[in-house]
Amino acid sequence: MKKFYVIFAVIAVLGIGAVGYSVGSNSFGTPSTELVEVDGLDDMEVLAEIAQGVTKGDEDAPFTIIEFGDYQCPGCGGFALSVKPQVELRLVESGRAQFIFYDFPLTEIHPHAFLAARSARCAEDQGQFWEYHEVLFRNQSSWSGQQNVVGTFVGYGEDLGLEGETFESCVKSDRHADVVSANHRLGYELGVSGTPTIMVQGYGQLRRAGNNSFQGIEAAMIAIEESAAAGN
Amino acid sequence: MGGAPEGAPPMNRMVIAVLALVGFFVALYLFAHNLGLTGPIVCGVGDCATVQSSQYATIGPVPVSVIGVAGYVALLTLSFIGLQPGRRNSKLIGGLLLGGAAGGALFSAYLTYLEAAVIHAWCQYCVASAIIITLIFFAALPEVSRLREQDS
Repeated sequence: MKKFYVIFAVIAVLGIGAVGYSVGSNSFGTPSTELVEVDGLDDMEVLAEIAQGVTKGDEDAPFTIIEFGDYQCPGCGGFALSVKPQVELRLVESGRAQFIFYDFPLTEIHPHAFLAARSARCAEDQGQFWEYHEVLFRNQSSWSGQQNVVGTFVGYGEDLGLEGETFESCVKSDRHADVVSANHRLGYELGVSGTPTIMVQGYGQLRRAGNNSFQGIEAAMIAIEESAAAGN
Repeated sequence: MGGAPEGAPPMNRMVIAVLALVGFFVALYLFAHNLGLTGPIVCGVGDCATVQSSQYATIGPVPVSVIGVAGYVALLTLSFIGLQPGRRNSKLIGGLLLGGAAGGALFSAYLTYLEAAVIHAWCQYCVASAIIITLIFFAALPEVSRLREQDS
């Protein structure tokens, strides 16, 4: 019986240690998870300076397709995984359009959206924004229901081969909170109220793309071209 | 309590206790993951993220891992009680251990079927738990003869 208790105690200690380490290693740092006040955003020039989308494609392309997105929004996940690949393949790679993603975290209903946006920006620091962007959307259903996603987001970075300590300390900080908050404010100023909101800019015009679909984007581009051709 | 004289602590119940403790920690890790306390699931092989994010990872609002934690705690408690002097021939403990182990093994078999045929992804922790509960079931089989001995 004594041998049994020894074996039992050893397993108990090992189990407590393993689970405790797993939980403990996820609980350091106090990451910024909410929109922050940024001085000067009432001034549109300052707002335009601080707000920064992440671009993909030729900056001289005649059209710019703008997304205001939230990483915890299922509709944005659908757009990222089914529509955006078509946009990239048929419009961005052909040089017809540039794609820009702006953060618009709906923090009142999506508690992890702000941290996700900041984490993607941390990935951008190491040149892997779009890879991380896709990982977040691809795994949205996995992390969305978790209570604490810091470790999950850090793990995604490690999976992508990001430099671990740098990325982790970035995620567990308030870094990029100003840019994400400014992006949100920019969307608000442009009339964005939900996500995803897709806009097409070209020839001095800005139009919403209907239904957040590829067809809607193409239709907006055609409408802009026709309007420009008509001299409006 | 039965009139048969008590012998040494039943070896099979010690085995069940040890296995249930291991299973408890496996289920506890998955539960901690469900709560978002562990970060990404540590998974050398298989695809735990797919399994854990599937609709089958919960039954109603209850994560399957919680059922695992509760089941292993129950088996652990029963086996410990069944090791105590005065309880080693307990028909009730033997029956509960056997029934609990059989129920757990059946439930685990169903979850393994879901991984193989429906989700098409394997979670190594779920597989580990399935193996543990199967071993517990085999360890609980001597309870059948113990029950029969008491009947005769």
